[in-house]
Amino acid sequence: MEASITLKKVGKLIGNKTILAGLSFGVERGSLVAIVGVNDSGKSILLKLLSGYENPNYGQVFIHGLDMEKRRNETRKLIGYVPFENDLDPWLTIEQNIRFNANLYSVDETICTERLKKYSSDLNMEPYLKEYALKVSGGIQKRAMLIRGLIHEPEILILDEPTGYMDAESIRLTWDLIKKIKGKKSIIYVSNSLREIEQAHDRILVFHEGRILMDGHLDKLLKSTMDYHQFQIEFEQLENDLYKKLKNIPTVVSPNRMDNIFHFYGRTRTVFFDVIKTASDEMMIDLNVKKLGLRDLLDSEFAGKGLD
Amino acid sequence: MIKALIKRRLWLYKNRLVPSIFIFFLLPIFSFSMICLPLKNILRFSLSGTSYDIWAFSGLIFIIGSICLYPILYREYFELRVHRKVLINIALTPHSKKKIIFDSLITAIIESLLMIVISYSIFFIFIPISLTFTNTLFLLTCLIIYLFLLGNLYISLSLLIDALSIMLLMITMVFLYIIFGNGFLIEFPFFPSSIENILNLIPIALPFQVYQKFNEAGIIDWKTIFTLVLIITLWIFLNSYLLKHKLQQ
Repeated sequence: MEASITLKKVGKLIGNKTILAGLSFGVERGSLVAIVGVNDSGKSILLKLLSGYENPNYGQVFIHGLDMEKRRNETRKLIGYVPFENDLDPWLTIEQNIRFNANLYSVDETICTERLKKYSSDLNMEPYLKEYALKVSGGIQKRAMLIRGLIHEPEILILDEPTGYMDAESIRLTWDLIKKIKGKKSIIYVSNSLREIEQAHDRILVFHEGRILMDGHLDKLLKSTMDYHQFQIEFEQLENDLYKKLKNIPTVVSPNRMDNIFHFYGRTRTVFFDVIKTASDEMMIDLNVKKLGLRDLLDSEFAGKGLD
Repeated sequence: MIKALIKRRLWLYKNRLVPSIFIFFLLPIFSFSMICLPLKNILRFSLSGTSYDIWAFSGLIFIIGSICLYPILYREYFELRVHRKVLINIALTPHSKKKIIFDSLITAIIESLLMIVISYSIFFIFIPISLTFTNTLFLLTCLIIYLFLLGNLYISLSLLIDALSIMLLMITMVFLYIIFGNGFLIEFPFFPSSIENILNLIPIALPFQVYQKFNEAGIIDWKTIFTLVLIITLWIFLNSYLLKHKLQQ
């Protein structure tokens, strides 16, 4: 597939601290890419570089094959950026804020009205269009910013926490819209909601300390850990001797304890029976078994060392 | 882009229609009552022997322009920048920083000129002035040059300063200079000669001097006009660099 965005050894420093270190990757046209990582891992800075909000210290960013630094005006037309923080003009109405952006991109008045109508209806924003930006809630401001980002019909949409400050209904409407335009536009977003990411992505980039730690579809990312299960057994009393015994069972992976709860991973469910056999004399009061998901993948223990 | 900026200013006026109209009429009356009326009783005539209120009329127009220009550019480059609103979004659109600076200057100047026209009409009631068409046209030309210079100064200050307290102190000093040190209300020979020499060379004071020279002697100082246009151009470049630097783009 054709590349929509290409990064070549892109780096960003803030003071002496490296925020992004020599990043190279491409984003296919029409794909939905989620970026995930712990706080301060460089996710938002990456979005700022992609949107032109900030410049990299080294490396190149290409948008549809055009060098972002050299062909600034052309590439900016192709991008719609929705930042995390509300940046609407507080003394303009929601509609005026959106129309102002359309005017900045020289969007024809009639076309602007059509798009405004279409996206407002998708996001249920009609009742708020005449309200001042400073008088509506954060979730409504965020939806307004999404319409503002789409009003010039960019080829690439960059979203920093697209559902930040939103209630459940707004989150649903926002994702419905994003999924609807996916395919026509390349969408890159950062989110801390792992449930949302699990449900909406073509590809996930897991960020850690300014580098891409993992890259791919969730199924692919979980492939190496596919056989693993997470177990939790709560004992009435988990003595140290017993914990040591359980910890040393060869099939038990990454064991740890929290009070009387023994927590571990295992490649097969039979590990569970090995543990039960070893602890058969002890009183067990609860147990929990689940397959691994994105959250487990992002657990520092996994992200840092892996299970194998 | 200029169309977008003008439309936004119109929307802002529309959204605050009553206070805007009130200010439009109050400002010239207030300026005249607080500045011109008391000074008229101290300085009865200008150094050239013209009645003070007639002499001070053009200065008053320049002062009104200076006051009107400030909130527009302050809002754009200080308030909205510090609160991380709108300006970054404007900077992400396909327009160069030079264009952003130039177009916002034009928008602010158009708005100031509109305010000046209203003030001009109001002053006619209080001051017995009779300006010829050529004089009015030249006054307008010098005023536009002056507003470009002052607008650039406001933008530079708004971009360089990040703290509101410092901004307020700086702008108070700028206004004190505009009202008393720019030759609008008090002629330079009233200052000690050392200060007069410095004030005479400040670019912001030059457009008014050019106008006064034309008004009194009928001479158009082309050399100064071209120098000022050059300064304006360079200052726009400097401000666009400052904007780029401030937004880390």
